[in-house]
Amino acid sequence: MSEGTRLENANPVIFQRSGERVQTASEEDEDVHDPIDDREIFDILSINDPEHPLSLEELNVVEQVRVKVNDAENTVGVEFTPTIPHCSMATLIGLSIKVKLLRSLPDRFKIDVCITPGTHASEEAVNKQLADKERVAAALENASLLEVVNQCLSTRSI
Amino acid sequence: CQRSSYRDTMAAESTLALSLVEEFVSGLQDSKAKDAAKGVKDGKFTVLQLVEALGSSLTSSQPHTRARGVHLLSEVLQECYGDLTEREVLIAFYENRLKDHYVVTPPVLKGLKALTKCTNLPPGSAVSMLRSVFQDIHVQCLSQLCCKTHFFFFSFFSHDVSLLRFPTELKGLGADFVFGFVQSMDGERDPRNLLLAFQIAKNLIHGGYDLGKFTEELFEVTSCYFPIDFSPPPNDPHGITREELVQALRAVLTGTPKFAEFLLPLLIEKLDSDVQSAKLDSLQTLVRNSCLAVCLQLKQELTGLWTSVRREVFQTSSEKIESAGLAALTALTSCLSRSVLSSDSEDSLSTFLDFILKDCKHHLCEPDLKLVWPSAKLLQAACSASTRASHIITVAVMPSLLEQYNNRTQVIETADPMNQDQEEVSELHSHHAVRQRCLSALAAVSIQPSVVQESTPVLLEVLRSAHTGNLAKKMLFLASSVVLTCRSLQRIAERVQDSEEAGRCFHDVFIPHLLSLALQAFVSVFFFFVNAFDLFAQCRAYFLMRCVWLPFRLAGQTASRAVSLFLDGDVSFLPDNSFPSHMQLLKGDSWSLSRLVCLLMGSVCSLPRSVEVPQIDKLLSALEEMSCACSHPLSYTSAAKCFAGLVNKKPQGDSLDSCACPQVAKALLLRYHPLFTTLTDKLFSLLDDADLGPMAADGFSLLMSDSTDVLNRACHADVRIMYRQRFFSENSAKLVQGFNAAPQEKKPNYLKALSNIVNKLPKQVQVTELPALLSLLLEALSCPDQDIHLSTLSCLEPVLVNPPQVLIQQLEALINRLLALISSPAMSVRIASLSCISTLSHFPVLPFRARVLRALAKPLDDKKRLVRREAVQARGEWFLLGSPGGR
Repeated sequence: MSEGTRLENANPVIFQRSGERVQTASEEDEDVHDPIDDREIFDILSINDPEHPLSLEELNVVEQVRVKVNDAENTVGVEFTPTIPHCSMATLIGLSIKVKLLRSLPDRFKIDVCITPGTHASEEAVNKQLADKERVAAALENASLLEVVNQCLSTRSI
Repeated sequence: CQRSSYRDTMAAESTLALSLVEEFVSGLQDSKAKDAAKGVKDGKFTVLQLVEALGSSLTSSQPHTRARGVHLLSEVLQECYGDLTEREVLIAFYENRLKDHYVVTPPVLKGLKALTKCTNLPPGSAVSMLRSVFQDIHVQCLSQLCCKTHFFFFSFFSHDVSLLRFPTELKGLGADFVFGFVQSMDGERDPRNLLLAFQIAKNLIHGGYDLGKFTEELFEVTSCYFPIDFSPPPNDPHGITREELVQALRAVLTGTPKFAEFLLPLLIEKLDSDVQSAKLDSLQTLVRNSCLAVCLQLKQELTGLWTSVRREVFQTSSEKIESAGLAALTALTSCLSRSVLSSDSEDSLSTFLDFILKDCKHHLCEPDLKLVWPSAKLLQAACSASTRASHIITVAVMPSLLEQYNNRTQVIETADPMNQDQEEVSELHSHHAVRQRCLSALAAVSIQPSVVQESTPVLLEVLRSAHTGNLAKKMLFLASSVVLTCRSLQRIAERVQDSEEAGRCFHDVFIPHLLSLALQAFVSVFFFFVNAFDLFAQCRAYFLMRCVWLPFRLAGQTASRAVSLFLDGDVSFLPDNSFPSHMQLLKGDSWSLSRLVCLLMGSVCSLPRSVEVPQIDKLLSALEEMSCACSHPLSYTSAAKCFAGLVNKKPQGDSLDSCACPQVAKALLLRYHPLFTTLTDKLFSLLDDADLGPMAADGFSLLMSDSTDVLNRACHADVRIMYRQRFFSENSAKLVQGFNAAPQEKKPNYLKALSNIVNKLPKQVQVTELPALLSLLLEALSCPDQDIHLSTLSCLEPVLVNPPQVLIQQLEALINRLLALISSPAMSVRIASLSCISTLSHFPVLPFRARVLRALAKPLDDKKRLVRREAVQARGEWFLLGSPGGR
């Protein structure tokens, strides 16, 4: 993270962003209850990459097919795919996703963030860190770590 | 001394030239050509000296050495063709060199091309150059030469200068030139050369060269490439695309009427082939061809073309080909429409359209509907080509369309309502669809006044038939078709060409009929209830549209008729009337009759200001009475609107009885009438009224918004600019004052009025005016009315982006109220307050952070997705507040 470090993946493949969600008539109807669905969670995940001036969606780190939500059973599962298997940012990206979801979803949800199986060298360790509530809380006590996470989560003025 | 130095220079010059020549010719260093050209340009040596230096290589026994020598000279000439003194000698030299070995030819051609660019070419030299080129380059041999020579050969001609600078001289060469070109082009395969050759051919055609007896040859030699079948090799160095070649060839083939007689059979042949690209190319070429008409006199060609195009559309394999086919048909028809007829020939357009009609018309009547669409498309394509074509087709098709239409009606009528199996219903639906299409097609073709005269009675007939039925099921279908019919009429009214004839038609036939129909509908027992409102809206809009362009005289007459109908019950001008005379249309207490007043509104309110409405005072008082006495909403609003419309146009200075109706106030506000203040004062005083207060407050919204039906510019209303700002600046103080003085339970009325007014103001004005009204607006946020919330929030949001100091002082109050609104029952209010809260995070609001974040947790689980989205956004922003890396 320090100044002058070289990017691990300087020239990533960039993916097309999915368009705005199309608004339906039932969404505008006062009386209809709209359940929280995969796409809604996916839209929440418009997070910036810590290294590149791109969103995680554009780097294909998060994809809609890897977002699973069950509104009735109060669970959200997100799998993310680091751009390269040795990406040192994987924990940070996972943390950002987790924090964003914690801030954006009602308390009732159990949030599970993990690496897409088979896409990272130290997959298990990272998953374990992300699943551990206390370690996540401790990480957010760390001002410099929180700073980076917040930068990922702030809306970028273009 | 001087002389010796001159000689030294001379010697130096020739040495320099010599060494350059040596390095270029023997050393094969191509870059030396540039140096030599530079030398001539800078005056280091002359062209003559260069030729002298070249002497030995030009006379060498080796053809390759000679070629190299000429090459150098040509390169130099290409750079320094300007004002050559030696041009005549050089031309003679080059013409002579053409006779040399074929290896020498390419640089010679290059040199000749450079020479054509010389200024002051001696007269006749261009012709003599061309003549020698044709004579000495044996084209038969040329075809065996390398591509490169060929390329030079073509580029020699294609060079615009050589063809354009001496048009008269070259035309003298006439057919010889064309023949030479045809011969040279024969069997060409290189795409670069072809592109050039097509361009030359195009120039030949457009330059008006006499093609003479070689017309067919020229066509043959170019058309054998049609359709272009070329796919550029990978890594093509020349970058020539198929499209370029196609365009170039098309320009040649369609360039002259003389080709038409050859082109048409070719196109038909390619069209009948199985190759998709050939079909497409042929059709597109057909579209581009503007001079087909000459040969389209040939009847058998026409039939052939039509058959092919029809096949492509009927048995369409791709959408592209179908649309190309339709475009080709339109092009053909418009071509034929433009063709000049001789006295003894038959009208080729009508012959052609006869084919089309013969083949398409019967499909329109076939019940299986399969070919209805393609036929309709073909007919439409032909129809859109020209007025004459559309007339012929409309005359021919209209009766059968109408017949078809009526048949379908009968089918619906004969359908037994008791026997409702699925199949029948679907059949009914399809018939219904056909009818709808018929109707919209009818509306689409009714642009010409003459057509309108034909089509409108039919539509009216449809409307009339709607009144005579009582089956519930039939109603269902008819109701929608009535709406559709009205819409068609409206569309006709919008699009019909403005003319005396059309105006008269409308005036004499239409308006009486429509009025009579509307009356019948309400008098008759079979008044169908389902769509009464729709029908009304349609009729009214239709009336308004029509009156906008009706000629003044007729407009006046229409208005006076309508007025006398409504005031005096004069039904004499209505067709087939069986109405009781002296109906009291404006006094009637029956709601069904009284709502007819909206028809009156349509007829008189859209008149131009200059048209005087007869008996206006009587009319106004009747309307006023109605607007106050009638209990039916549609009736009294229409009456009030009608009243307002009339008042707005009434000449200034007339006495006006005041009536505290917002519609009238608006009419006066729009034109800055002095009496307006009296009316607003009355409206303000009404805010204190226990019953009428909320309605009066809504009245302000009406005052400030744009009127869609009567009081707008399209209906010739008198609308002044900035009337909103004016109203605001005159009345905001009054409002604040009234608010402060009002008892607690009346305050919401004032707040509602205020937010209604402020909401309609332009944004710039809002931003500057709001600080003064802030406390009132905050008050508005805590009153119980949801509409007030929404309009106040939408006023507040733009102000929050750049908040005034006053607002900062009231942050606590503002945030409290916004957080309370997060749980409003109205979704739009929730969204608006969340978005305000999100904007607020840019303020110095750190002390509120914890509280707001807690409050924002709840809307994250809102039942509406749109609210959740706003909440996620707002909460995200507030989390970043005062956090490292955030704000």
